[in-house]
Amino acid sequence: MIVQVVSAFFATYFFAIIFNISKKHLIPCGITGAIGWGVYFICMNFSLTVVVSSFFGALTVAFTAHILAKKKKTPVTVFLISGIIPLVPGAGMYRTVFYIITDDFTMSTQYGLETLQIAGVIAIAIILLDTFNKIIVVKR
Amino acid sequence: MNHKLLFNTALLAGELMLRNGAETYRVEDTINRILSLSHFKVIESFVTPTGIFSTLDDPSIEMITFVKRVSNRKINLSKVVETNDISRKLCTDQISLESAYEQLQMVKASKPYNNLIMISAVALASGFFTIVFGGHFFDFIVSVINGIAIASIQIFLKKYKVSRFFLDLSSSFILAILTIIFVQYIPIGNNLDVIIIGSIMPLVPGVAITNAIRDTIQGDLVSGVSRAVEALIVAISIAVGVGIGLSVFSAFLGGVF
Repeated sequence: MIVQVVSAFFATYFFAIIFNISKKHLIPCGITGAIGWGVYFICMNFSLTVVVSSFFGALTVAFTAHILAKKKKTPVTVFLISGIIPLVPGAGMYRTVFYIITDDFTMSTQYGLETLQIAGVIAIAIILLDTFNKIIVVKR
Repeated sequence: MNHKLLFNTALLAGELMLRNGAETYRVEDTINRILSLSHFKVIESFVTPTGIFSTLDDPSIEMITFVKRVSNRKINLSKVVETNDISRKLCTDQISLESAYEQLQMVKASKPYNNLIMISAVALASGFFTIVFGGHFFDFIVSVINGIAIASIQIFLKKYKVSRFFLDLSSSFILAILTIIFVQYIPIGNNLDVIIIGSIMPLVPGVAITNAIRDTIQGDLVSGVSRAVEALIVAISIAVGVGIGLSVFSAFLGGVF
């Protein structure tokens, strides 16, 4: 698990470079990605489904991103976009296509729906945190 | 106050943000905030991913309206951050309008990371993602090679202004072929799935997806839908590219599946 979380840190870190994020924000971006993946991994170990784990992972990423954005006075997008990357259902997309090619439409439908579900719950997690954040800001 | 300059500053800030991957509402907000420094009656801006429309009117002046078409978009979040900073400083009177405009010009001219750093970042990101998804050391190496190939192809093809669809299609096609060659013929790397999944991550439309969601929540439905379509098209091109790569190989040489 530690290997994976550390890899998630580096993966997100290098991803932040691809997005041209400036040097001082690279490490916080990496941390956001690593925390999100860590939570996802722990959820998976508690034998929750991929969809639910992705939801909690994305929720953590969004939470961390909002805190870091406040602290660093930076648009939240910077941390959110890089942190969410490990959770984006690239694997689901690939498997969907793979099974279409191998003529296994049952499996491809299953993975296709799962991919949509994951994308959906990530969206919900981001929406929740954005709304929550707005409520706090308005209250002040 | 020089209204023309104020207007130009607002539009330049908006354009910089929109071009480099900011959400629509942030662009509108920035433009409106800068324009509101004039204390005029009518301040309106409408932003979509492909253009900015903005107007400024008051009994004391002739109406200024501007339409700005933004055709090519890339992701350079540091420009978004810097523009955001400058507009914040301008709106809290920490810097003058003239110096804000100058600083924005500098942001516009600032260079992204150079190609070598970009290629290594893509390579290492692919490599580490392969490990994140459960790959081993040899899989890591194959992914790094894939990453180098993808980034080089993209940089090469971008010079010829090739469309994004073809760019992603060809990169994912080549990464599929490379992965099969490595897994089948050169005995390093043994998890075909994991390597491919790790290697396509740099192509996955993460920014478009995230912004599509956030735009839609904000009520910018036009932007939300168009970004979602953008993400969908990228996803399809990646999928088709990998798909063609895999099936070409199994059709001609057989034995992959």
